[in-house]
Amino acid sequence: MKNFISILGTNSDHSTNRLLLQFIQKHFKDQANIEIFEIKDLPAFNKPEDRKAPHGVQELADKIREADGVIISSPEYNHSVPAALKSTLEWLSYTNQALIDKPVMLTGASYGKLGSSRAQSHLRQMLDAPELKARIMPSSEFLIGYSLQAFDDNGNLTDQRKIEALKRIFNDFVHFVDITNQLVNAKESQQKQAPSYSWEAK
Amino acid sequence: MKLVGIVGSNAAFSYNRLLLNFIAKNFKKLIDVEVLDIKDVPMFNQSDDQTNSEVIQNLNKKITEADGVIIATPEYNHSIPSALQSVLEWLSFKIHPLDGKPVMIVGASYDVQGSSRSQLHLRQILDAPGVNAVVMPGNEFLLGEVYEAFDENEDLKDAQTVQFLETCIKKFIRFINVVNVLQSPEGMKDLSDTEDLYATGAIDTTVEGIDMSADDWLEQAAEATQAVEGNTYVKLNRGLLTVNQLNYFLNSMPAELTYADSNNQFLYYNHHMEKEDMLAGRRPEQVGSPLAECHPERVFSGVSWVIQQLRSGKQDVVRTQVPTHGPDKFVVHSYQAVRDDNGNYLGINEYVQDIQPVIDWYLEQTGQQLTGGGVDAVSGATSKVDTVSGATAKA
Repeated sequence: MKNFISILGTNSDHSTNRLLLQFIQKHFKDQANIEIFEIKDLPAFNKPEDRKAPHGVQELADKIREADGVIISSPEYNHSVPAALKSTLEWLSYTNQALIDKPVMLTGASYGKLGSSRAQSHLRQMLDAPELKARIMPSSEFLIGYSLQAFDDNGNLTDQRKIEALKRIFNDFVHFVDITNQLVNAKESQQKQAPSYSWEAK
Repeated sequence: MKLVGIVGSNAAFSYNRLLLNFIAKNFKKLIDVEVLDIKDVPMFNQSDDQTNSEVIQNLNKKITEADGVIIATPEYNHSIPSALQSVLEWLSFKIHPLDGKPVMIVGASYDVQGSSRSQLHLRQILDAPGVNAVVMPGNEFLLGEVYEAFDENEDLKDAQTVQFLETCIKKFIRFINVVNVLQSPEGMKDLSDTEDLYATGAIDTTVEGIDMSADDWLEQAAEATQAVEGNTYVKLNRGLLTVNQLNYFLNSMPAELTYADSNNQFLYYNHHMEKEDMLAGRRPEQVGSPLAECHPERVFSGVSWVIQQLRSGKQDVVRTQVPTHGPDKFVVHSYQAVRDDNGNYLGINEYVQDIQPVIDWYLEQTGQQLTGGGVDAVSGATSKVDTVSGATAKA
């Protein structure tokens, strides 16, 4: 049984990404305990000089550290991820760098046809930055287009093929978590490197 | 040219703010830049619409009124800061001030990358349909290792960097002109309706009750107003001339002068040559006519655009080169706004000159030569030739 934390990538009251995470939580409950973390009450990142994580950010960081892996589900705003999710990642990278070496799986839902494809691509690039250094599962894009029509009244995905694809990716992620945690050598070297990376370092 | 500079960070201290301040200070002869901060803009939340807040409305207004926008972005996690992202989300949610707006991207960062990756993200974001800005391609200005870039006066230390930045700024000025052309009458929009070219209204000085199109409008209007002429003295600011002296004086100007008032009525030209000898031909009987009767209909949209530029105060002068006079002349039509002491628009002074003799004289006197390509034509207004070249006699 794995313990995952999932981050909802928007601060909106209405979000089909919330539905998606709730579905994942329910559908895979035999394989993993999945907590859904809401970012809507986190303050906006403003690069404070004391580099202290606000309470909510520290809480998220602690949950990430304790978890075996992280699932992020993001909508797409302006070909990218919402500012609210970006702000959360900035807090993590600027204060406690809790995502370093953490296995991450990405999902996304959007109202339109493209299903947040470009947001996910930006998100991958961001998570790969030296201050975040997450271990993103490669070749595992999961997109839900026309997300307003994708769920039934009970919050279940209606398209059986999508459920199958999600199952395969989720199973891969369970293995990916194990494999990533076995990469001890690389991990150690990165742990030495990353904390010394500073936003202002020369 | 009025530009807005947006600091892409909400941090208390930002090198990108220094960079924009430097651009505003160092290039003030070229551009007028107002630097705007975003640190008071709330985090975007589509469930809590704050579009009408003062801070967002202020950004909206400044961007809408500007000719172009310069965005200076740092790089956080290989992307732009959430603070800038949030601003762009507000400006693409219920309002869209960046739609069609020329944008230039610059960036400064602590590492050697100089915000290279965040600039690419920013381009993609600005290209999203909700934002729809017109971003200048190429001319990537990346300022890496920024902690060493400025001196104690907050000026960029490296002369080559400043030189390159100037090149980028000059290109941006030309880019704005090109974008304006795309969106001006040569584009899809017909602006003919924005100006009353038939002068159907009247202003304080309009001589009413006389047919503006009449060949002898001048004679009739002069009689109606009991206008003075000949050797009668007229008191001017600052001087005293007779009407004759005034005429000869205006005729001696090294340009063909035309006055049209704010009601779009053609009132005067310094008539001392026949139409065929003029650079922009006019006939005596045209005086008094509405501007619509002095132009073919196909250029109404262009003429309206020029008048709008002057009337709205967007530009004080619109220039255009008319190349149809052969290689020995360089004929420039300048449409100069005439304003009263309070800046109110009174009309247009169109002066037409061949400036080639002036250039030749300058080169002869200074012993200098023109070198091909070395002259940086910043104005770029030459692209408007077709719109206004018809501003002469219809016949």
